Amino acid sequence: MKTILTKELKLNLKNFLIWSLVVGGMGFVCILLYQSMETEMADMADAFSNMGAFSDAFGMSTLSIASLKGFFATEVGTVHGLGSAMFASILAIGILSKEEEQHSAEFLLSLPVSRKKVITAKGLCVLIMLVAFTAICTLLYCLAFLIMGEGIEASLFIAYMLRVLLMNIEIAGICFSVSAFSGKNRMGTGIGIALMFYVFDLMGRVVPDLKDYLFIGPFSFANASEIMSEIEPKDSSFIVGIILTVLGVATAYWIYDKRDISS
Amino acid sequence: MPDSNTNVIEIRNLTKSYGKNRGVIDVSLEIKEGDIFGFIGPNGAGKSTTIRSMLGFLKIDSGSISILGMDSVKDHTEILKHVGYMPSEAWFYGDMRVSEVIKYAADVRGLDCSEEARKLCERLKVDTHKKIKELSLGNRKKVSIVCAMQHKPKLFIFDEPTGGLDPLMQKRFFELINEYVAEGATCLLSTHVLSEVNKYCKNAAIMREGRLTMLDSPKIDDETFLSFYDDEG
Repeated sequence: MKTILTKELKLNLKNFLIWSLVVGGMGFVCILLYQSMETEMADMADAFSNMGAFSDAFGMSTLSIASLKGFFATEVGTVHGLGSAMFASILAIGILSKEEEQHSAEFLLSLPVSRKKVITAKGLCVLIMLVAFTAICTLLYCLAFLIMGEGIEASLFIAYMLRVLLMNIEIAGICFSVSAFSGKNRMGTGIGIALMFYVFDLMGRVVPDLKDYLFIGPFSFANASEIMSEIEPKDSSFIVGIILTVLGVATAYWIYDKRDISS
Repeated sequence: MPDSNTNVIEIRNLTKSYGKNRGVIDVSLEIKEGDIFGFIGPNGAGKSTTIRSMLGFLKIDSGSISILGMDSVKDHTEILKHVGYMPSEAWFYGDMRVSEVIKYAADVRGLDCSEEARKLCERLKVDTHKKIKELSLGNRKKVSIVCAMQHKPKLFIFDEPTGGLDPLMQKRFFELINEYVAEGATCLLSTHVLSEVNKYCKNAAIMREGRLTMLDSPKIDDETFLSFYDDEG
């Protein structure tokens, strides 16, 4: 299993580095842009906070975009949340199915290793990459704060990064089960799942009737504006997250272990 | 020395379908130790379905498969330790180098096969420095042969192994099979090439429309062989 895990890490390394550096780099640049935009932001802050549903959706009604915390929550929060969710979904949705798509499944499964071990190795690869992705982005954002000589409360920053990691694990868990079903890499479906959750959260913050159902989506407990405003998410959002993750991974084991592998 | 009374492969009433489509129907087959068994038949007849069921890629509907005295479902992983399989497509991971793929296959088996792999690469003229995606079908097949043979398995399963190989490599491939079989291995060879069946196989069977028929002798003429591929043959 260790050999398969190592091989998976190596094969996914290039994509991992690209995604980490692009998402982390965009967040890094966003943070550095704050200083040059600080004065303009102060002028715009009032306007942004009085745009009704739009302000609610992006958290600008509770946080001032003129503050670094508010700027981080609205700008970096969107880039990091959406970028990392897309990375998690693309990584997880292809990790099992790519073997059949690139016709390497017969080679792998003719080696003396059970399908359960293959799933475990690939699942661990996804988990390790998501943790490492979070670590790289965290380092880049910290570096930007250091360069600026200004930061946000460490506890809020860490809470945000960890909750986004949890969100990514949930999205990856769901996509992992899709990967086990499919003999083709469903990258489009993966991106669709990440975007669907993002839009659901956005809509839920704008449409009053949907607000009560926000807890269903993983973005509900990883919303940067709420975390920076120290608004605690509902426990139910974490519970749903854990249930969906466990269900996704369990389904992947169950399906992949039972189904026919195409050549 | 091989014991020609021991069944290495024992298939009993194997049936496998793909939804409403036929796979194989009520296939029974025995292959003895030390045999080079020819498995012939038209495309879509069920040869690959039988092989893929044996290796656990497909979940069978009914029947049983015993390999090396072990149950193909319960003892799946243990069986694979003693099997060298070469799929017809011979695909690996495009970005890996040949040497990495060969070592990877040995590492997953938990074995150091470097000496045997080196000998095989030398005989088959395998360029171990190239990336898999740079290789032609024939060269990928040679890598597949090395991966299937380097751990000196008790049973070889080859699915159309010689397609893409040049005549010299085909000759070397069969020399290798004969050497391993002389040391006690058994070989199941799925092929469309009559000369391979005639020259190398000790026994043979034909699959047509999902059903298997044993041949009295693998020594058959062109006319008989081609009649197997004729719908009305």
